[in-house]
Amino acid sequence: MNTVQRQIVLPFSKAIEIAYKSIRLRLSRSLLVTSGIVLALAFLMSILTTDAITESMRTWASSNSSTASQRLLSLMKSNGLPTTAEEIRNDRIQTRWLVGLALLVAFVGILNAMLMSVTERFREIGTMKCLGALDGFIIKLFLIESFFQGIVGTVVGVIVGLSLSLLSQAVTYGAFAWVNFPAMKIVISAGACLVVGMTLTVAGAVYPAWQAARMQPIDAMRVET
Amino acid sequence: MTVANDTIPTGGPTSLTEFTVRTIDVKRMYKMGAEEVHALRGVTVSINRGEYISIMGPSGSGKSTLFNMIGGLDKPSSGKVYIDEVDIAQLDSYELAWMRCHKIGYIFQTFNIIPVMTALENVMLPMIFAGLKTDEAQDKAAAILKRVDLGHRLMNKPQEMSGGQQQRVAIARAFANDPAIILADEPTGNLDLNTGKLIIELLRDLNKEKGVTIISATHDHKMLAVSDRIIWIRDGVVDKIQNRADLKIEEGTIQGAAGQELH
Repeated sequence: MNTVQRQIVLPFSKAIEIAYKSIRLRLSRSLLVTSGIVLALAFLMSILTTDAITESMRTWASSNSSTASQRLLSLMKSNGLPTTAEEIRNDRIQTRWLVGLALLVAFVGILNAMLMSVTERFREIGTMKCLGALDGFIIKLFLIESFFQGIVGTVVGVIVGLSLSLLSQAVTYGAFAWVNFPAMKIVISAGACLVVGMTLTVAGAVYPAWQAARMQPIDAMRVET
Repeated sequence: MTVANDTIPTGGPTSLTEFTVRTIDVKRMYKMGAEEVHALRGVTVSINRGEYISIMGPSGSGKSTLFNMIGGLDKPSSGKVYIDEVDIAQLDSYELAWMRCHKIGYIFQTFNIIPVMTALENVMLPMIFAGLKTDEAQDKAAAILKRVDLGHRLMNKPQEMSGGQQQRVAIARAFANDPAIILADEPTGNLDLNTGKLIIELLRDLNKEKGVTIISATHDHKMLAVSDRIIWIRDGVVDKIQNRADLKIEEGTIQGAAGQELH
């Protein structure tokens, strides 16, 4: 009678089961959050891809003097792309700004989406703690949920961004887009996008969840949402 | 699966186990900016096993703070709170979670049903936290829901239920792991008169049936009328403890402590 035991730690599979159920049950809500991640990543990925392709086309065009490369050069010029060394240098700086901007969009967009989706569940976190959930379990739950959302959102975002960018390059430059295709660079960009997307998503969910889990349950439930 | 089953004997003298909750000179101080707020200034109360207790007091009296202390939701700045003779200040987070899971059932004014889960899943949740297998939990949760007359709504989500039904789900969930104490924070605050009455009757019946201690913070006269004792809190101290027999229940009003009339 007069004994207190230690609360059992639920197995990881139980957390996965509950997290999976939670995503499925709030499908429309989690799709909305995921679409935010998709948009941000698609933007970042398309900028990186477009930049890589332009760069490689320019290298190809200036490294030989065939009529085809002359045609590509004039095509690039008519599309407003820089051709002289001075212009190229300025363009590089511009691209860097654009990539920075895309990163910022991804950063703010994803963190905001995740913060919102966890904050509106503070009351739920408080309730779960009253029912005997351990802090670690709540963090695990959000870690798994955000991991699922992050992986889906990031992969879809990368695919969307890549295809849109390839499509627009193909429409503008036709076969020239493929002559010196920077496959390696694009794979690296996709990998970088994956890392950025996953990190932001998981960090954006786990940080507020960790905060809420540490709160006294009564305070977590008192937070106005 | 890591199961830590080592039990830690934390005992007081066995002669005191008739009390489920004891507080000894409990003080609670908050810092609000530079100001110190004394929510509780030394409260000593003992609550017997199986009692039905109401805690009364105007807002800002420290009523909610005391209520949270008793429920293991807050720790005192000084003084002791014993739940089932265990000093809650000594517990680490694992033991506190175990306590909340097994010893205490919570009922809230706002029901706090997990919105994406069905009635059955809500009642199963504390059982899952306690380590029950899914099918065991399912059977047990269904039986409890049947007891609160919701046998026909097992698969409904809270938004498909009325306030009274949601509160009954919450009551079923509070009883999930056969707790020693039920803490009800204004359980009828969001319900209409008749529904509130039914909820109070249900709580009273379960109190008799299971011998569980029920402690509620309330303003509801109907609740006061069925309480064994009423603890009045004022300015962070116990103003008065009334037995039901001492209550002068008049039509529609109750003459409370210090003679103020409650509406």
